[in-house]
Amino acid sequence: MPVVEARRVTRLFPMAAGPIAALRDVSLRVDAGEYVAISGPSGCGKSTLLHLVGCVDQPTSGEILFEDRDVAVLSEAERSRIRLMRIGFVFQRFFLLPMLTARENIELPQAEAGAAAADRRARTRELLEYVGLADRADHLPSQLSGGEMQRVAIARALANRPALLVADEPTGELDEQTGEQVADVFDRVHADGTAILVVTHNPALAARASRRVTMKSGSLVS
Amino acid sequence: MTSLGLAWRSTKRYRVRAVLAVIGVAIIGALLFDMLLLSRGLLDSFADLLSSSGFDIRIVGSEGVPIVRFPIDGSTRLAADLRALPEVRDVVLIRVERATAQVNGRTPRDVTLVGTTQTGGGPWTIVKGTNLPSASSSSDRCLMLIARRLAAALGVVPGSVVDLSVRPAGIASALPAIACRAVGVVNFAFAATDEDSVATTMIALQDALGLQAADADLVLVASRPAVGSAAAVRAIERLRPDLRVYSNEDVIAQFNQNGFAYFRQISLVLSALTMTFAFLLVATLLTVSVNQRLGEIAALRALGIRRARIASMLLWESALLVGGGGLLALPLGGLLALALDHILRQMPGLPERLHFFVFNWRAVTTHLVVFGMTAAAAAAYPVWLTARLPIAETLRREVVG
Ligand SMILES: Nc1ncnc2c1ncn2[C@@H]1O[C@H](COP(=O)(O)OP(=O)(O)OP(=O)(O)O)[C@@H](O)[C@H]1O
Ligand SMILES: [Mg+2]
Repeated sequence: MPVVEARRVTRLFPMAAGPIAALRDVSLRVDAGEYVAISGPSGCGKSTLLHLVGCVDQPTSGEILFEDRDVAVLSEAERSRIRLMRIGFVFQRFFLLPMLTARENIELPQAEAGAAAADRRARTRELLEYVGLADRADHLPSQLSGGEMQRVAIARALANRPALLVADEPTGELDEQTGEQVADVFDRVHADGTAILVVTHNPALAARASRRVTMKSGSLVS
Repeated sequence: MTSLGLAWRSTKRYRVRAVLAVIGVAIIGALLFDMLLLSRGLLDSFADLLSSSGFDIRIVGSEGVPIVRFPIDGSTRLAADLRALPEVRDVVLIRVERATAQVNGRTPRDVTLVGTTQTGGGPWTIVKGTNLPSASSSSDRCLMLIARRLAAALGVVPGSVVDLSVRPAGIASALPAIACRAVGVVNFAFAATDEDSVATTMIALQDALGLQAADADLVLVASRPAVGSAAAVRAIERLRPDLRVYSNEDVIAQFNQNGFAYFRQISLVLSALTMTFAFLLVATLLTVSVNQRLGEIAALRALGIRRARIASMLLWESALLVGGGGLLALPLGGLLALALDHILRQMPGLPERLHFFVFNWRAVTTHLVVFGMTAAAAAAYPVWLTARLPIAETLRREVVG
């Protein structure tokens, strides 16, 4: 059963010198619990595809179905709700809120979803243990290493038990060894049944996926 | 965490920025608050001064205004007629003349001589000695109260004798002097701080004028509280349509329309300018800070945090900066107002009790409302920026750029 499906999507960016086609007629399906890695040269459209699938952007043509709902007909508030409850985002630059502790960063999406304080606390403790940072709960991002920040960010992405985790170059800012720790967490997430779509240049990370997709100038090549 | 909580954390995180903003807003706010105090202060102070006399109605001759006056013919009869009105509780006759005061043959000084039928107290406070006794109980023909500054200059203490001679307007030579005994050294409420005034009874003033009966140029009337000044004014106007009758409110309203309106307009313009500065300061700081945090904000949106939540966080941030500064502005503005009032009151020719900056709750309320609006306005642009933020493009730019 697909979590998300891109059907013949094209994404043009209108430019003064003429439109750029970041994606051309791309179809991709991610099934529940599947772990898909996208790689390809810089500028081939990986992030563009990830943003469409993650419901933060819309295709110029074609359609995105998230859990069988056509994303194009949804309101921004409904898309926001899907992102909150069904999708978890992990970014290359972590984007933790610098003024909040690890725990508070993880609680933020839960509070937005309306979870009760006691449930949030329990879920956050569980997630911090899950990513191996139980003892860093009260640390600010500035007091954590890059790898630790990314693990907190993954915990934040998982906070509302999403069906799909999307990650754009999650190891892009990390050294090989720290990248491996992050990859280990992804393996666990996959093993626990959450679908993952990861864009990466890191062959070691891509190798762990159950399916690898390669892109070239706006199209899927394999 | 609530939006306020998030806003508080951001404010704390960018502490230096926040402190600078709060100080800036506090200084601007102090100016605004002072402008608000100034825009009503003189009026309120004047009203306070008028009502402190205990009389709420003033009557002058038909040619006069409350400030430039001419004697009212038959004012003693008038006083009796007024007392007979059921609306009237008390009546006082007053006449003011230019005079000279001399002690022991030394150089005479020009003074303002006030004759009044009011005994046992009046619009003055005793510094030394006693009040004017009711005329009948005294063997002295002329007893007087003397302003503190003048008393010091002439070496007069209660018991000293002062020779007073009236110099009626338009007459070159002074009238023969009469000897008056000072009973009290006082501060006159209405007199300018640099004005040399003495007050005596109407009887003594008549003697000084060499008249059998001197007409008052001002009649003060106290209405009965149950009736109120407006009704008493109407009754007096019916009794004597030839006179001009003003309630204290009328006098204030005239003062408000003439002259004072300019004052208020100027302070309105200056207030608007100061608030524009506060708005620009906070709007700039918030915009800069939002631009620094676009990546974070786009990430929050990608995580499903609603626009409204981010908008309310920014509004709260604005409210914390503007509110913090605005609250600090109240004591700061209060101190500044005291200092400025002190400077302005050194202007010659002002009654001692008149103030330019007068505390009033309406000014505080206006101040708070204006600050609330400024906070909202300052947040408007940053909120709009984040509301239309393209999430995907911003995330990409933050990594590529
Ligand atoms: N908002 C945009 N405006 C204009 N052009 C864009 C925009 N987003 C993407 N593009 C263009 O679309 C193409 C694909 O960009 P995309 O970011 O998807 O590449 P990518 O595969 O993620 O590259 P990288 O590996 O460097 O991150 C590029 O040519 C890029 O310049
Ligand atoms: Mg990319």
